[in-house]
Amino acid sequence: MQTAKREIAVSMSNISKRFGPVRALENANLEIVRGSILGLVGQNGAGKSTIIKVLAGIIKPDSGTIVINGETVTALSPASVEKLGVHFIHQDRLLVPTATVGEAVFLGHEIGFGPFVSRRAMERRAADLLQRFFGLELPVGTLVKDLTTAQQKVVQITRALAQKASVLVLDEPTAALVKREVDSLFDVLRRLRDDGIAVVFISHYMQEIEKLCDRVTVMRNGTDVGTVDPRETSVEEIISMMIARDVGEMFPKRSVTLGAPVLEVANLRLGGGFENIGFNVRAGEIVGLTGLLGSGAKEIVQCLFGLKTADGGLIKVEGRELSLSTPVKAVRDGIAMLPEDRRAHGVALGLSVRENISLASLRRYSKSGLVSRGSENQAVDGLIKELSIKTPHRDALVRELSGGNQQKVAIAKWLSCQSRVYVLDEPTVAVDVGAKVEIYNLLNRLAGEGAAILLLSSDLLELVGVCDRVLVVYRGRLAGTFSGPSMNSDALLAASSGARPDADGVAA
Amino acid sequence: MSVSANSPKPSLRAFLAKYSVLIAFAAIVIFFALTSPTFLTPANLFNVLVNNVVMLAIVALGLTIVISSGGIDLSVGVSVDMASMVFVMLLAAGYSGVVGVGGGLGAALVVGILNAILITRLNISPFLATLGVLFIGQSTQQLATSGGQPIYLTSGYASDQFNAIARTALFGVPTPVIVLIVLSIAVHVLLHRSVFGRYVQAMGAQPGVAWYSGIRVPRELSMVHVLCALLAGVTGILLSATVKSYVPLSGNAFLLDAIGATFIGTTLSRERKPSVVGTLLGVLLLAIVKNGLLLVGWNFYWQQVGIGLLVFLVLAVSFGLRRATH
Amino acid sequence: MSATTLHTEAGASDETRATGKSAGRRFATLVVRLGAIAAFAAIMAYFVVFAPGFTSTFNLINVVEQSAILGVLAYGMTSVIIGGGSDVTEGGIDLSIAANMGLCAAVYATLLSMGCGDFLSVLAAIAVGMAVGALNALAVVGLGILPLLATLAVLNVAAGMELTLTQNTVVGASSPLLAFLVSGSFLGISALAWALIVFSAIIIAIIHGTAFGLRLYAVGGHPEAARAAGLSVPFYVSFTYVLSGFCAAVASVLTVSRLSASTPGSGELLLSVLAAALLGTVFSRRFVPTMGGTLLSVLFIGLLANGFQLLNVSSYWVNGVQGALILLVVAITSFARGSEGSR
Repeated sequence: MQTAKREIAVSMSNISKRFGPVRALENANLEIVRGSILGLVGQNGAGKSTIIKVLAGIIKPDSGTIVINGETVTALSPASVEKLGVHFIHQDRLLVPTATVGEAVFLGHEIGFGPFVSRRAMERRAADLLQRFFGLELPVGTLVKDLTTAQQKVVQITRALAQKASVLVLDEPTAALVKREVDSLFDVLRRLRDDGIAVVFISHYMQEIEKLCDRVTVMRNGTDVGTVDPRETSVEEIISMMIARDVGEMFPKRSVTLGAPVLEVANLRLGGGFENIGFNVRAGEIVGLTGLLGSGAKEIVQCLFGLKTADGGLIKVEGRELSLSTPVKAVRDGIAMLPEDRRAHGVALGLSVRENISLASLRRYSKSGLVSRGSENQAVDGLIKELSIKTPHRDALVRELSGGNQQKVAIAKWLSCQSRVYVLDEPTVAVDVGAKVEIYNLLNRLAGEGAAILLLSSDLLELVGVCDRVLVVYRGRLAGTFSGPSMNSDALLAASSGARPDADGVAA
Repeated sequence: MSVSANSPKPSLRAFLAKYSVLIAFAAIVIFFALTSPTFLTPANLFNVLVNNVVMLAIVALGLTIVISSGGIDLSVGVSVDMASMVFVMLLAAGYSGVVGVGGGLGAALVVGILNAILITRLNISPFLATLGVLFIGQSTQQLATSGGQPIYLTSGYASDQFNAIARTALFGVPTPVIVLIVLSIAVHVLLHRSVFGRYVQAMGAQPGVAWYSGIRVPRELSMVHVLCALLAGVTGILLSATVKSYVPLSGNAFLLDAIGATFIGTTLSRERKPSVVGTLLGVLLLAIVKNGLLLVGWNFYWQQVGIGLLVFLVLAVSFGLRRATH
Repeated sequence: MSATTLHTEAGASDETRATGKSAGRRFATLVVRLGAIAAFAAIMAYFVVFAPGFTSTFNLINVVEQSAILGVLAYGMTSVIIGGGSDVTEGGIDLSIAANMGLCAAVYATLLSMGCGDFLSVLAAIAVGMAVGALNALAVVGLGILPLLATLAVLNVAAGMELTLTQNTVVGASSPLLAFLVSGSFLGISALAWALIVFSAIIIAIIHGTAFGLRLYAVGGHPEAARAAGLSVPFYVSFTYVLSGFCAAVASVLTVSRLSASTPGSGELLLSVLAAALLGTVFSRRFVPTMGGTLLSVLFIGLLANGFQLLNVSSYWVNGVQGALILLVVAITSFARGSEGSR
């Protein structure tokens, strides 16, 4: 990398932005260099997304200067930014689901004659670009909604490339991609860099940052706290810049004595999902569950909450055999579920903290069908205090809470039910480091109080840091159980991808 | 993030947005009180209450439940008509009033169950399911009445039963008003105080969360639609008892006003949730404007323009100001 | 440094599974569409065999003529649904369209009866229709009122103004334009039928042939994506409501020509308009509202009424069959969507 003669594509300096009393950005700086990949990291709320939105012309900064291609620009708008060659690949797949690939790639820049479009030309050009950059061949006229998540991401990038982007900003582009796709995406980004394009890469995955980026800008509390070369700075150092404390503190240590088995699963099978799954989780134990996408791990969790009905096998909670065909039954039988999609399934944003917390346990606080507000308020206040949920009052809408606090409300809902078994499905996805630590602490406390916890996660560091034991599922079967010293991310990764397990055993 | 929740700047705009309905209501009452000498007389207000409020309000109560659950019921008119039709037919055939009321409510129940099956078993969206039922219900009525012939009940025909419903009073309060009061309190308790009501709110806010919280969503949703149809059925019976006849396809007149009233009521809440109090206020507002315009000499046709403009303005102020404060 | 996050190893099995899934889904969708279309075809076949004179040219042109008004209105409604998204409670809908037509017809007939010329009267009708559309646009786009509510209020305003203007009476009208529409013909096809054909051709070309139409679909299908692509969502949504008002005005001229008068009660058309626009989605490969699909379902509704008439079946069945068809189509659709929903 040439350090002497760097061509600066975008330079943002002293950007400040307030939302009411909240300081989102405070004299933040960002420098994007041509022919280089810049990593942008920071916890949620650190200002990453705000500064990117300022650059995208979505948010107007209160002060600061922005220089693009040597020219100071004022009054940015999404359209004017694109004209300057700065393109954004948003985290949400911003594509029209019912459009064809060609229509999606050229939306707003259609090919045709006068007002009329040539669908054939657009499809052909799009197919051409996809083939050239990604080696991807799709049937002509494929609809966006029929694409996999990764293919949609690829179409989004193709969109920017079709418009001759000179600066490409990617917000969490790998979140939904499989490994091979991540690799090919990285190849594409490197190729674009070598062609002189400036790339900004925002990611929570530190290893990706380390692997891909030439420079990393770390943000904290609305400002940039430093720009480092990832080849000279370790991931641990970068993380401590982000959270301003030691990484070791992320996974709080605990010591519990395990009780009797609370959740027992034997011979569980689901056609097309998994078979012969057997394990148990004891009181006070945190058991991890992991596997690649499509391995069947997700389906096991869904069967335990009645979202899917197993074709055979036994599920027992505290010795009682259950038939779980709907969540209704699972909840009644003391199983709690923290779903992956918090906004769709975890908490209702439009309801108050109180209504969310008592939702699954209303019968406790009611007499002859009527809710007794006194006992409900008392219980809710207790839980808000116990979990230190940061909310102005119990009747505030969950929408107004931060992501971490929303997740705590979702947990409080099950505490209110006095559930014995907690099934967690990727509870820390898209949660920033600080909130992660709080959730880990909470899990430890739950376990300490005698709950049985099953944690489905694809974050291997998290599994190793939090769990007493980790079960690995490979192609629908338990490929190994790991605990103690054998439980490390290398071993978990190997077992997940089908290598011979160096595990404690296959069934617990 | 949580800071924004208690940023205590009670701006004028937010105030106006929240209370736009109440302000409009007060302004309209004052306006008519000043321009029409008869407006504020007890006799007139009583007339408004009995003739313009009761029946619409009961239909609107049902819609309030449905809209709270995140759905809609376009077939309330069919429930009104079916109840009215069966009620009148049974009385005409010489059955007693009790059988007539039972039969009428039974007919409405059938409509509600049909909606419930379409929505919860066949997974059709409430809008389309009830639109389909609306079409079928209209056909059914036309076929049953050879194209829409009204059924009149000549006086003497079970007139006692009619009088028992429409023309009597308890402590000077007419029976229909008592029915409305009882039903309003019942629906209020059900929607805002009961476990069922909480489930309805949860389904309206985020159905996925309700399902993942162990709520029997299909069962509760069925109940919602059955209740709505039954309430509309009550209106159907009151309607035919008042006009002593069944006029096919007359129930549809309630649909738009009831939806309008319910949504006017939602402007009272920050999250735009329907409420019984809000709905009743919406119905009153519509009724008073209709009556007031009549008193100041606007004919029936202008009334409709006036109502439309009023609803438009209330919605505009409420939605517009809220958007501006966001 | 070892990887600490599991991304799927994308083996060949994953690839085939993904494409296999989407192929299966596409097959299910195809079955649903073909099933619905087969149901339509079966009804038509029944009429062809059993309804006397159903297939005669005269009868078919008659059906096209009868469908002209519904068709033009349904185009307006379809454009609003395309631009506002097809979520029925939150998305685009124009409940005022039929009442708007009634108002325009009243204005048109009244001006003609006052002695104004065709040109002026038609212009006034179109101005009124587009003004009502603009009012909807203002409410929905400018003030952010739910379309369902906004157009409901405007429905009342338009219907009330029609009543005020006509005092709920029939306003007779005659003019050279009306005479031409009723009795003129070209290539053996009447002017009224031509009106539908030409209007269809223009609107299909605009919505399905131009970049504008393409962008309109994007605005309705995913407003965020449209915004990110630099499109002005408010402009496109406003356009659909004004277009809907324009369609109402055009339909008003057609209805006055058919009846030689403006008559009260045009609001009753609303449900059929809605049904036509919604049913039309089954004719689309992507399950979205399309102008072609709307035209087909309008003709289908017209043929249904016509077939019943020829078979001497009471016309009171038409509504019911229409309702049952909506339910059937939507139930099958949601069934197919449900089976693909595991994604």
